[in-house]
Amino acid sequence: MEKKRILKTILMLAFIAFFIVMMFRAIVSAYTLTPTSTAEALQHLPLWEIPLVYMWDYAQHGWICLGFAFVVSGLLAEFIPKPFMIKYMSSRKPIAYVIAMLIAPLFCVCSCTMVPLFSGLIYAGGGIGPALTFLLAAPANNLLADIVTVQVLGWQIAVADIIAAGVSAVIIGFVVSKTPWGKRFEQNFQKNQTQTAAIELVEEPFDMRLWSALKFGGYLAKRIIPAFALGLVVVSYVQAFFSAEIVEAYLTGPTGVVYAAILAGPLYTPTLIEVALGKALVNLGMAPAATIAWLMGQPYDIPNMLSTSRIIGWKIAITYGFSAFLASIFSGLLYGVLTGGF
Amino acid sequence: MKVKVEVIGVSPPCQRCKTTEENAKKAAEKLAAEGIKVEITKLNVTAQETISKYGVIASPAIAINGVVKIMGKVPDASVIERLIRQRITS
Repeated sequence: MEKKRILKTILMLAFIAFFIVMMFRAIVSAYTLTPTSTAEALQHLPLWEIPLVYMWDYAQHGWICLGFAFVVSGLLAEFIPKPFMIKYMSSRKPIAYVIAMLIAPLFCVCSCTMVPLFSGLIYAGGGIGPALTFLLAAPANNLLADIVTVQVLGWQIAVADIIAAGVSAVIIGFVVSKTPWGKRFEQNFQKNQTQTAAIELVEEPFDMRLWSALKFGGYLAKRIIPAFALGLVVVSYVQAFFSAEIVEAYLTGPTGVVYAAILAGPLYTPTLIEVALGKALVNLGMAPAATIAWLMGQPYDIPNMLSTSRIIGWKIAITYGFSAFLASIFSGLLYGVLTGGF
Repeated sequence: MKVKVEVIGVSPPCQRCKTTEENAKKAAEKLAAEGIKVEITKLNVTAQETISKYGVIASPAIAINGVVKIMGKVPDASVIERLIRQRITS
C-alpha cells in the first residue's frame, strides 16, 4: 500500500515536471507555440477543411502550452491557502487591494468560484473596493489566460496587459468605493460581520493533494477545451477571409485603440478565445497598442455586467464598466506612446 | 449516531458543487449500511444565513456538524467518509 502510494506520487510529479520542462524548453529555444498558417495557405482549402487544418496546426504547437497551463492552474488552486487569502481580502485595509490584485487571479480560474466569492466578500462586510478589484482582476489576469497570452501574443504585450489590467482593477475598485452609491452599498452590509461557526480545514497528505490538483486541472481542461476549439473554428475563418485592409484601416493608430476597446467589450468571448482572436487580428495588421485595449475588454462585456449588477446594482455596474472601458483606452494609448506601437 | 453534513455550493449548482453533493451522498449510503445516519443539507454559498454562519468561503465546501472541513475543492466520497468517521470517534 505504502509503495503504491509512493509510486503514484512519483508518477504524478514526473507528469508535472514533464510539462514544466517542455514549457521551459519551448521558451528557451523560442519554439513557436502558435499556429503558423497564413491567410494564403488557408484560403485555398475547401471551406470545411479550414478549421480542421487550423486546429491541427494549433494542437501541434499549443498542447505544451495548454497542458502546462492546466497543470499549473490545478496546482495553484490546490496549494494556495484560501482561508489566508479570504481573511485579508475581506479587510478594509489597503492590503486587501494587493491581495485581490495579485493572488486572487492565481486560483480563480473558474467563474463558479469567483462570483460566489465576490458576493460573499460583500455580504460579509468586506469593502466593495477590494471585492471589485478581485472581480475585475481575477478573470482578466487569470493564470491560464496569462500563460496563453504570453505564448500567443508574446512577452511584451502579455506583461503590459497583466500590469495594465491589475493596476486598473485597483484604481476602479478604489474609485467605485468612493462614489456615493458605492458607500451606501457598503453600509448596507456592514451588520453581517459576525461569524458564528468554525472553520477547521483538514490537511490531506501530499499525494492526495497532488491528485486533486491534477484532477482539477483535468476538470478545467474538460470545461475549457471545447469552447476553445469552437473559438478556433471562428478564428480560422477570420484568419482566412477577413480583410487585412479593414483591420489596418481601423485597428491601428490612436483611433484604433478606441475601436479595439469598443469591439472587445460587448463581444462576449471567454478570455482564451479573445487571445486567439486577438492573434488572428494581429496577423491581419492590428497594432500592438490596439491589442492591449482589445485584451482589456473582458470586464465590461455585457453578460458579465448583467450578472454582477444583480448583486451590486446597476449604478455600480455601470460605473465600473465605464471605468474599465476608459482604462482600456488609456492603457492602449499609454502603451502606444511608450513603445511607439501604434 | 447521527452526523450532519452540509454541502455548501452555488445555487443553481455548478458542476463541481453537484459532484461534491453526489460524493457526499455516496459516503452517506456507505455509512448507512453500518448504522451511521448522515443527514445531508445543501446551503447556498451566497445566502445571507450561510455567510453569517460561516463567513466567506470558497465553494464548493463541506461542513460536518457545523465545522467547515473542506473548501474550494471537490472531495472524493472516501475523503468525506473518513471525515465523518473521524467526527464520530473524536
